[in-house]
Amino acid sequence: MVKRYRNFKELGDTVVLYPDDYINDIEGEKLEDLCASYLDRGFRKIVVDFSETELINSIGVSILIGVIEKVRERDANIYFSGLKRVNYDIFSIVGLTKHIRIFETEEDALGSGSKPVGQAVL
Amino acid sequence: MTETELSLERLLFNLNTLAELGEEITSPKDFTRVVKSSLYMVMGSFSSSRGAIFQHENGSGSYVPIASKGLGDIGGLKLKLNDEAVSELLKRREPVDLSSGGAGLLGAARETLEKIDARVLACLTVKDELLGLIAINGKFSGEPFTVYDFQLLSVMSQHISFSLHSHSLLMKLMHKYTENKNLYENLRRIYYDTIHAFAAAIDAKDSYTRGHSHRVSAYSAALAREMGWSNDEVEGIRIAGLLHDIGKITVDKTIINKASPLTSYECRELNSHPVIGYEILSKIKFPWKGIPMMTRNHHEKVDGTGYPDRLRKSEIPIGARIMALVDAFDAMTTDRPYRPRLSFREAICEVRDNWNRQFDPEVVHPFISVIRKEVRRETDNPTIVPLLQEEIDGASLNRLLDGFPRA
Repeated sequence: MVKRYRNFKELGDTVVLYPDDYINDIEGEKLEDLCASYLDRGFRKIVVDFSETELINSIGVSILIGVIEKVRERDANIYFSGLKRVNYDIFSIVGLTKHIRIFETEEDALGSGSKPVGQAVL
Repeated sequence: MTETELSLERLLFNLNTLAELGEEITSPKDFTRVVKSSLYMVMGSFSSSRGAIFQHENGSGSYVPIASKGLGDIGGLKLKLNDEAVSELLKRREPVDLSSGGAGLLGAARETLEKIDARVLACLTVKDELLGLIAINGKFSGEPFTVYDFQLLSVMSQHISFSLHSHSLLMKLMHKYTENKNLYENLRRIYYDTIHAFAAAIDAKDSYTRGHSHRVSAYSAALAREMGWSNDEVEGIRIAGLLHDIGKITVDKTIINKASPLTSYECRELNSHPVIGYEILSKIKFPWKGIPMMTRNHHEKVDGTGYPDRLRKSEIPIGARIMALVDAFDAMTTDRPYRPRLSFREAICEVRDNWNRQFDPEVVHPFISVIRKEVRRETDNPTIVPLLQEEIDGASLNRLLDGFPRA
C-alpha cells in the first residue's frame, strides 16, 4: 500500500522524502528529525527526492550529512534522486557524491537495477 | 566536471557561504540561532558531521559549548585552557590541525577534544582576546584538510568572532544596565523609606494625627488620578502629601497637642509650618515638580483668607488646592485634642458649606466623584472610604450629595 503525503510517501519499508524548495537554514533540520522518526519506526530504505528543491547551501549540506549519518548508524540505506545540476555540483564540491548513491529519478532510486548517477562507495 | 570547473564551483560555493555567513551574523536574529547557523555553515563547507562552537565562560577560564551538531548532549562539556595554551593559540591565529601534533599545546583540553573526535580547532579572537573556539571533525569524504581549507576556516572564524564579540559586548552592557537598574531601585527604595520616615516623624509629634500624612498622601493621589493627572504627577503629589506638614517639626509639641484655644503667639508658631516646610523642601532637588509650593500653600483658601500668602483661587497651585481639601477633610474625620471627629455626613456638610470659599469646586467635585465610585465599588483600589471610620451606603450618600452645588 502506498501512502503519499505532501512531504513523504511510504512504500512498505521504504519512505520517499520530499524536502522543501530551499534547504538553506536550520529549519531544514526537520528533515533530519523526520528521517530519524522513520528509522525508529523500522523503515529500512530512505529515498530523498530533491526534484522540488531549488537550492541547497552549506547549512543544507550539513543537515543532509546529519541525515546520512543517522541512516548509517542504523545500517539502513539512503538514496538521493531528482537533484538539479546546481545542487549536484554542490554535492560534488563537498565530496558527498562519492559516498551516497544518487539517481536521476525517484523511480530509479526505488527500482533495484537502475544505475546511479553518483559514484557511491557505500 | 573537470578539475578546473570543480575548483571554480568550489570557489563560488565558498564565496556564497561567506556572503551568507556575513548576512547571518549581522542579522537581528536570536544569538543562539545565529551561532547554530554559523556552525552549520562551517560544517557544511568542510562536510563535517560533528562539530561545536565554544565560548569563553567569564571567571572560570573554561570554554563552554554554545552550539553543536552530531555530538548529542554536550552541555556539561568544558574546554579548560591554561594561560600558556591561550597565549599560544593567540600567537598562532590560524586553525590548528589536531591530527598532526597541533594538539600538544592544548594541555587538558586535548582529551576533551579527542572525546568529541575533533580534527581541526579554529580560534575566535578579537584583538588579543580568545573569545571562543570552533572544533570540527574530519571531512565526511575522508579527504584531508588543505591549506586552502584552513584559510577559508580562518576567514569564517573571523566572521563568527565578530558576532561573538558583539554579543559579548551586548551582554556586558545588559549586565551593567541590570546593575544600574538594581542600584537605582535600591536608591529609590531608600529615598521612599526616608520620606516615609520623615512622615512618621512629623505625625509622631501629635498623637492625634498618627497616620495623617499617609492619609493626605493617599487621598491626594486618588483625587489627582481622578482629575486625570499623569502617573508621574500623581507620584509627585503623593510625596507632597507625605511631607506637607514637615514644617511642624520645628513647632513646639505642646502647641501642636494643646486642647484649649491657642494664644496669638502659639497660633503664629503653628501657622508658620507651611513656610518652614517650604524652606526645608525647596532645598531638595525632587524629581517631581511643585512639592515645595504645594507644602507652602496647603492652608490657602480660594476666597483669599488662607495663609501664608493669602492667595485666591487660581493663584493657588492646583496641587495645593487638592491638599487643602484632603488635609481639612482628614482633620475633620479624625479625633483632635480640641474636639472629637466629625461623622462623614458632618464632614461632607462642612465641605459643602465652604464650597467656593475655603475649597475649590474644581477639586471638590472630583473628590465627591471618587467617594461615590468607591462606595459603589466601581474602583479596583478604593483609597478614601476604607480609611474612614464608618460604613457608608450608596443610598445615604446619594441623599447627602443631593443639593450639593453643581460645578
